[in-house]
Amino acid sequence: MSYFLQLLVSGLVVGSIYALAALGFVLIYKASRVINFAHGQFIAVGAFTVYALVVYLKLNVWLSFGIALFFTALIAFLVEKLFLKPLVGQPIISVIMVTIGLASLLDGLIHLTPFGGGNFSLPRFLPEGGVSFLGVSVSYPQLLAVLLTALFLAGFGWFFQRSTLGAAMRAVADDQMAAMSLGVSVEHVFALAWAAAGITAAAAGFIVGTVSGINLESLVAIGLKVFPAVILGGLDSIPGAVVGGIIIGVLENLATGYLDPLVPGGGTAEVFPFVILLLVLWFKPHGLFGTEEIERV
Amino acid sequence: MRKLGILVFLVLSFGFAQKVHLMWSGAITGPTSDAGKYYAQGVEDYCKYANEEGLTGGLTIVCETRDDQYNNANTQRNFEEALERGDPAFLGYSTGGTLQLKPLIQEVGMTYIPASYHIGNIDPPNNDYLFLPIVSYSEQVIALLEYIAKEKPGAKVALAVHPSPFGRAPVPDAKEAAKELGIEIVEVQEMAKGLDYTATLKRFANKGVEYIVYQNVAGPVATMIKDAKRLGLNIKHAAAHYAGGPDLLRLAGDAAEGVIWVTSYYMPYEDAPGAAFVKKLGERYKRPADTIESVHYPSGMLAAAIAIEAIKRAHTAGKPVTGDAGREAVYAEMLKLSFDPGLAVGPVTYSKEDHVGVDHMRVLEAKGGKFVPITEPFQSKLFRKVHYGK
Repeated sequence: MSYFLQLLVSGLVVGSIYALAALGFVLIYKASRVINFAHGQFIAVGAFTVYALVVYLKLNVWLSFGIALFFTALIAFLVEKLFLKPLVGQPIISVIMVTIGLASLLDGLIHLTPFGGGNFSLPRFLPEGGVSFLGVSVSYPQLLAVLLTALFLAGFGWFFQRSTLGAAMRAVADDQMAAMSLGVSVEHVFALAWAAAGITAAAAGFIVGTVSGINLESLVAIGLKVFPAVILGGLDSIPGAVVGGIIIGVLENLATGYLDPLVPGGGTAEVFPFVILLLVLWFKPHGLFGTEEIERV
Repeated sequence: MRKLGILVFLVLSFGFAQKVHLMWSGAITGPTSDAGKYYAQGVEDYCKYANEEGLTGGLTIVCETRDDQYNNANTQRNFEEALERGDPAFLGYSTGGTLQLKPLIQEVGMTYIPASYHIGNIDPPNNDYLFLPIVSYSEQVIALLEYIAKEKPGAKVALAVHPSPFGRAPVPDAKEAAKELGIEIVEVQEMAKGLDYTATLKRFANKGVEYIVYQNVAGPVATMIKDAKRLGLNIKHAAAHYAGGPDLLRLAGDAAEGVIWVTSYYMPYEDAPGAAFVKKLGERYKRPADTIESVHYPSGMLAAAIAIEAIKRAHTAGKPVTGDAGREAVYAEMLKLSFDPGLAVGPVTYSKEDHVGVDHMRVLEAKGGKFVPITEPFQSKLFRKVHYGK
């Protein structure tokens, strides 16, 4: 029983990191119907910013984290203004290609810094060890991951439900024309959605860096790994991103624990979540919480 | 006036020296670039050093490092470009790229020195022109198993390998060796980069695994070692060349204490001429500390040193060193090459039958945040027995 419980809890921890990374996808898609293929690169920008501030400028890790959130949000905001804004009204495939190009551009720029290749590790700022209960062990970095994810989700939940700006963003997501007619600046909302996604990306980068070290390839891979999470949860649903992320995290762990011994070489964690994803999409093509859009011709 | 004369002589001799191109194609960006970046710097720096110090027999070796992004198609394009230009040898990188290029390498007869130590690179067919700089992954893993068998007879071992030909390379030989050594390989797990390896580790622990042997890269290994420590598992970790090193120490911190690692290279802080040479070159070419500390930096140097030495010897013997004849001449030199550039724990020796350069390696253990050698340089006889049957 403790084996199953450990797999479940570890899955929840990993899933919560996926959920945070997935949140950035959803924020952009919800506001502008754009799928951002450069999200992994934003995660990397956040992680390397924290690392540079802590290691080179010797700043406090939490101050560095705060600056990284702001910096990554600013980069994302500027990217939207420079590259995405001119594409409003253009075919979606053009926008997708721009985000793919953006991923290559950011990758290339990061490679011009000392962070392109190599493995980096944040100086330890949490106590060693972790918490144990019912035979289950969770490290402090993992606990931090869960707490930060919960904090960000609560923060964004409040923002969207209670703040005027959040309401404006929801209005744009629901109906851009109606929102514009009510005086909402759609352009402004798009840029803010990118900035908000930048914040979640930086937070995800910081957490991944704390849990498993910082490496460009791994960070970019996290950005892509959350695709099944957002599709499963529903591309335009914030609760969906959370549930999808956690389901994927738990499924990966259960597959490794119970299916890998049955398959020579293992590796079922890479496949099993996609099998479940296909099954779910069979019955719910818009994901678990995605909006079902009915087009009348 | 005399100084001016010398300067003019040097400029003229450099200007008129025959230029020979030598290309390295590997991952400066993309997957495994955490190793490729430093490997490329090693190639570049040794090349500069050899030219500046006159180790080229009067030739000017123009080394070119190309980023193939770990993409086999890019590697092939670079190889074909080098071939068309008339380069006499080629420095490669990945396992996949090397295995894919084997028939072409054989067809054109170009000496090829990869960064991949996959034994399949130098096994038949199409293996005549491939040369490993140091001992193969198979020999490294078997050496670790031999060490484990001495430390804990009958030990239960799991292999945690990269999900690629690179990772799977030593598995068949390791299984055979384990039978000979009387230790049990309980499981072979392919492990990709992940955020948490709790499930894998718990499963290993349930099966009584006492040692995990890694044929992987440092990132996932570091996470796994940290997770094992958090879970309080009494499992020891043993890493082959690319799975360990200073990168692992940096990523895993205290959790890496006690990890054993096998490699043919020196550590930069060792009191050895090879270590001092690597440090001297890194400082001379203003490389940052992480480059000088990386084990991939001397690896790149060694590959370049081997190719340059063979080219130099062919040239000194009055043979052509470019085009078809150049490839043939350099290959002929490779087959009798025997020299000690001092970059690894043994000399480089090749022959028609032996396509492994440095035949020795050492086992090191992480102690106090450093890898320190715990064996003298040695070869694995068991590897020869299980792989070649002799």
